[in-house]
Amino acid sequence: MAETLSHRIADAATPGEEHALAVLEDAFARFERIAISFSGAEDVVLIDLAARLVEDVPVFCLDTGRLHAETYRFLEAVRKHYPVKLEVLSPDAGDLARLVREKGLFSFFRDGHGECCAIRKIEPLRRRLAGLDAWITGQRADQSVTRADLPVEQDDLAFSTSTHAIVKFNPLSAWTGAEVWDYIRRRDVPYNPLHDRGFRSIGCEPCSRPVGPHQHEREGRWWWENPADKECGLHAQNVAPIRIVNG
Amino acid sequence: MHVTFVKKILANGEPCAKCADVQKRLESSGQVDSIHRVVIADERDPHSEGMRLAEQHGVEVAPFFIVEDGGRTTVYTVYLRFAREVLGGKPRRVEEAQEVLRANPDLDFL
Repeated sequence: MAETLSHRIADAATPGEEHALAVLEDAFARFERIAISFSGAEDVVLIDLAARLVEDVPVFCLDTGRLHAETYRFLEAVRKHYPVKLEVLSPDAGDLARLVREKGLFSFFRDGHGECCAIRKIEPLRRRLAGLDAWITGQRADQSVTRADLPVEQDDLAFSTSTHAIVKFNPLSAWTGAEVWDYIRRRDVPYNPLHDRGFRSIGCEPCSRPVGPHQHEREGRWWWENPADKECGLHAQNVAPIRIVNG
Repeated sequence: MHVTFVKKILANGEPCAKCADVQKRLESSGQVDSIHRVVIADERDPHSEGMRLAEQHGVEVAPFFIVEDGGRTTVYTVYLRFAREVLGGKPRRVEEAQEVLRANPDLDFL
């Protein structure tokens, strides 16, 4: 894994591509236990980039059990198209059974999506990250206000423990959505067909919907919830040095 | 070991609900005795000690805990993880995952 090929970065068509390749090369060189988190959406770009640098790209995907059929087919298409080791992670069966038994299959419409996402995504993610020292995401700063200052590399305070530090890489942090789609078209990267039907942010089937051309992609997720309910961010009032988070 | 609990005052002067909830849980469980210092991050004052500590440790949410132990500093943004790892609380995986999500709302977009 550490044997990377810097000359391939010279093939980059844009400065953003060159930067992302350099970040990935650095990440794979520094960490043996590292993997890409793939959501089954336009973050397929990460896989395409990584496949230019390393063989057997380590990838994991969180299968919540509620993804669109198109997304499952897309995951399979990616598995066939790229030299990836695609690991599909499932929720804990006991936790899921308890949730469904006690609250049904659509509790998120009533209680908010926190508990369902915690069981179907966060806990499986935590389990996987316990065996990694670093992970790579396709998160971009332009995806939401809470990502405005998203760094290329960060200590993962969400999943690091007192005995196990985890680093998170976001090689596409400075890319815009337009750059992502330019890359997909230019390199003929396979993509989830839901994008052609107006889905810009793709998650679970009940919690994702298409958006219009002037809507933010996040309006296509959990549209029935009030964003103001999230108030954990530290909002500095006038200043500069503190990173502002609107939650 | 020295534990600092940083909680937030909102821009409107009200205490942050999540911080109040954690404070209540610390008190009801008797864990509050393990907290050596409480510091306020006041959104109206970017120079308040809590805001400075947040910047220093790269923390963007409140409440959080700073644990200093023998020259090593660990920051916890998830109360249940802090309770489990530092105070020896029982593992509560799903609740802890919910707290992780609440403190890191971008994770649900994965």
